[in-house]
Amino acid sequence: MAGTDWNPWRRLLALPNESRTKTVIVAFLVSAISAVLVSSATVVLRPIQTANRAAEEQARISDLVRGIPGMAALLEDSGGTLSTVVIDLERGRAAQDITPETLDVALTDQANWTVLEAGDDLAGLGQRPNFTQVFLLREGEDISLILLPVTGQGYGGRIDAIVAVHGDMNTIAGIAVTQHSETPGLGARIEDPSWQANFPGTLIRDDSGDVRFSVARGVATTDYDVDGITGATRTSSSVTRMMRFWLGPQGYGPLLDAIGRGEF
Amino acid sequence: MAERVSYWSTLTEPLIKQNPVTLQILGICSALAVTTTMATALTMSVSLTVVITLGAGIISVIRRHIPDTIRLIVQIVIIASLVIVIDQFLQAYFADISRALSVYVWLITTNCLVLGRTETYARFHGPLPSMVDAFGNGLGYSLVLIVLGGIRELFGKGELFGAQVLPLADEGGWFTPLSLMLLAPSAFFLLGGLVWALRSVRSEQVEPPDHTPPETEPAK
Amino acid sequence: MSEVWSFFLFAAFVDNMPLTLFLGLCTFLAMSRRTESALGLGIAMTIVLGITVPLNHMIYQWFMAPGAWGWAGYPDLDLSYLALIAFIGLIAATVQLLEMVLERFFPAIHAAFGVFLPLLTVQCAILGGSLFMVERNYTLGQSAVFGLGSGVGFAVAVVMLSAIRARLSYADLPAGLRGLGIAFILTGLMSLGFASFAQMTASL
Repeated sequence: MAGTDWNPWRRLLALPNESRTKTVIVAFLVSAISAVLVSSATVVLRPIQTANRAAEEQARISDLVRGIPGMAALLEDSGGTLSTVVIDLERGRAAQDITPETLDVALTDQANWTVLEAGDDLAGLGQRPNFTQVFLLREGEDISLILLPVTGQGYGGRIDAIVAVHGDMNTIAGIAVTQHSETPGLGARIEDPSWQANFPGTLIRDDSGDVRFSVARGVATTDYDVDGITGATRTSSSVTRMMRFWLGPQGYGPLLDAIGRGEF
Repeated sequence: MAERVSYWSTLTEPLIKQNPVTLQILGICSALAVTTTMATALTMSVSLTVVITLGAGIISVIRRHIPDTIRLIVQIVIIASLVIVIDQFLQAYFADISRALSVYVWLITTNCLVLGRTETYARFHGPLPSMVDAFGNGLGYSLVLIVLGGIRELFGKGELFGAQVLPLADEGGWFTPLSLMLLAPSAFFLLGGLVWALRSVRSEQVEPPDHTPPETEPAK
Repeated sequence: MSEVWSFFLFAAFVDNMPLTLFLGLCTFLAMSRRTESALGLGIAMTIVLGITVPLNHMIYQWFMAPGAWGWAGYPDLDLSYLALIAFIGLIAATVQLLEMVLERFFPAIHAAFGVFLPLLTVQCAILGGSLFMVERNYTLGQSAVFGLGSGVGFAVAVVMLSAIRARLSYADLPAGLRGLGIAFILTGLMSLGFASFAQMTASL
């Protein structure tokens, strides 16, 4: 008969499975090892995920800009690059202390977010950041093009897009969708160039200043519509609501007004 | 003395003879939602096969020391951890597909197939046989998914893996896509048809009828 | 009030768990052979979903959402990847607790449910309800209505299927279609029918 095994590990394994000690220790070990495994995987992979997302965003912006008719030529004339600035949404002008580099840190402060009332929250966001980064193309003193990032709750998840608006601040020049989780073949057609080609030339607001843009049910009928996507009613209405929110008084409305008045 | 496990038969049985989806009714949940394109079907198949194989291996290694009271939750936690790792991996390197798969990758955790195999096989056999069995079941599952995904993408969009195979009528070709293929019901019809075809070929898989009509004399 | 009602209808019929979202199909098909088991499953699912989805919403918002730990000084701590394990833990605990309560105070109901309750711990639909709640960013109220609505929708679908299958058991089906094959095709037809509900809430 062997003497008592002093190795605690072997002693643990030798316990009957039903003993309370063993149950607790096995539960604890399994949880601890799983937690370590999961957390290390996440920590290791997260930088790659954010880097990929940033690279994708850059690629989409370049594609969007190139997709706008005459854009490539415009860019070359004006010397090539878009300028970028962080906007204070409430006041409709450039943010005083925040730069594109410090924007992410600024947005971790809850004070820089506005909680939206149910009636105002067209895009299903819950809350809206007070500062966003936009991209501009200037021709001398005037702004000839502005790129506005927008986001909203779609059918399957968040939809992120970038809307390009011409210098009159009322005509859409183009749209690019950077992220969505819509149904492949149906709602996911919002990323099709053929559907996005509907957008250039669509007007945003009418003469009284109300946002009239919408995604039509079926074929577009007015200057303020774009064609809808058959079989993707909910995605289409999500896009309508997202655009109306961000192009209206709760989003970039004050900014577009300020630029229109020449105050930017 | 336990008999030698035949690895080859363990591996190939789940492909047709004991296919988890068409015979054992396991793992159906996620099988249908992700088969709109072959890319998503393939990613899902690979993810599930990896999770089930590794999970079966790990659980088999510790099988003698899992107390009965926490048996199920321990298995689930191990499988859930593997799923999270795979999901993070997909988000890092295959971001588009990961977004299309959305929550269905996480649902691998409660996939009846994964838990079914660990409960019935991995608990009683050594690591290598368990992993072979799990891998075989994973392959059986993948086979069904890829066939479904292929049919749905081919007839729903005329594409395979995103490459246009059948020229669309809109773009000057002859093929008008069957949009029904992109919706939920088509997956059910296709799977029903697949089961029917399999059981017509292999009649041992046919289920017995619920009622046998009584013998009657034909009316004179 | 009509908003709550329309959201309930949406969760029950438009986003029907087995027929539109493909969740919970294993038990859906297995339990639809007899109407009694179908009804039992449906009721059990409604109760568990109605409890776990709002509870999971709360623990997600308090502990795991990005920025949830802001009050402790860790505003950029994002533990959302742990949501899976936490949800399963909560679901398993809820089911266990429910079983204990039923056994103690309502033994007749407990006997009627039989094997369903423990089965629900590993049901894709229950976990799926919570996961969709996170992905779609529902509020607490919406989570509760979504949970109850989804459960009711599941119950309706499974009882309907069991009724159809009961009729079909007397039909002369091709041998290969018997059982699983015809169940899939029936589910497909039901899914097609339920798809017409999508227009119902689009105009609401």
